[in-house]
Amino acid sequence: MNTDELHNILLKRKTFFCYSGPLTEKILTAISVAVRLEIGENAGNERAEKIVFGNFVEQAQNIIRYSSEKTIQEDETSGVGTVALSLSDNKVLVEAVNAVDEKQMNTLTRDLTELKKMDSAELKSAYRNRLKDGPPEGSKGAGLGFIEIARKSDMWDFEFVKEHGKILFIFKVWS
Amino acid sequence: MKIEATSRTPLIEINSGYCLIKGECYPEDISEISIPIMKEIEQELLSVEKFVLELELYYFNSSSAKLLFDIFDKVDEAAADGLDVQIKWNYRSGDDSMQEAGEDFEEDIKNSTFKMQEI
Repeated sequence: MNTDELHNILLKRKTFFCYSGPLTEKILTAISVAVRLEIGENAGNERAEKIVFGNFVEQAQNIIRYSSEKTIQEDETSGVGTVALSLSDNKVLVEAVNAVDEKQMNTLTRDLTELKKMDSAELKSAYRNRLKDGPPEGSKGAGLGFIEIARKSDMWDFEFVKEHGKILFIFKVWS
Repeated sequence: MKIEATSRTPLIEINSGYCLIKGECYPEDISEISIPIMKEIEQELLSVEKFVLELELYYFNSSSAKLLFDIFDKVDEAAADGLDVQIKWNYRSGDDSMQEAGEDFEEDIKNSTFKMQEI
């Protein structure tokens, strides 16, 4: 793809921030300042601003922690992935993409399908139970990220794309 | 104990029965703050007659939600054993998300005084 095509695609889909490549906590610290400013410019109100920033942080940390593609960046293990923020129907869309293995795909499919079925009261109780019981096996955080996103966002979706023997996990959330 | 704030971690002050946690809270590694905070609070609870926990957060991620829950759980347990525990949840005017977060936590606090305050 030519550089002008990249430029035009990002403009056309109203993507105001996009990071693609090895992501580490240090890089997240550095880009958070810029991302927050841009969300402030693009989110509808203060509440949406907080929620969008939260979605961004959770998605970026998921890439760092769970991407099955890793590199070593200055002694820090990174996860390779893409995280993008775009305007979509007066909302801010946060998209994240990273490679996963078969086992992760099965776990994510099971957990996210379960979350999709829950109404707001069930999500609230799932959140409180997880806080009390602690993270599930294999979690590198509190295991609350997706529940929090499902509770606070307007809409979210996920899919898996298989290409060249790799499985890509795609997660989208609108707020 | 005093830990200065960074762009991703709050100011933390724990001293003679008072604990203040103020700022942003989405650390690179939650254990960098959870271990010193929990240790210091546990020690304080053994030696004080009254404990005041004051929070003023702007954003916290889901790993930090777990830490906050664990802190509340710890101090509320001390309150159940008879300690006078006050929790002050401050949120900035118009910050609905921090107001809702405070209300969520309040539901699980049984023995401490919990005050929400818009600042």
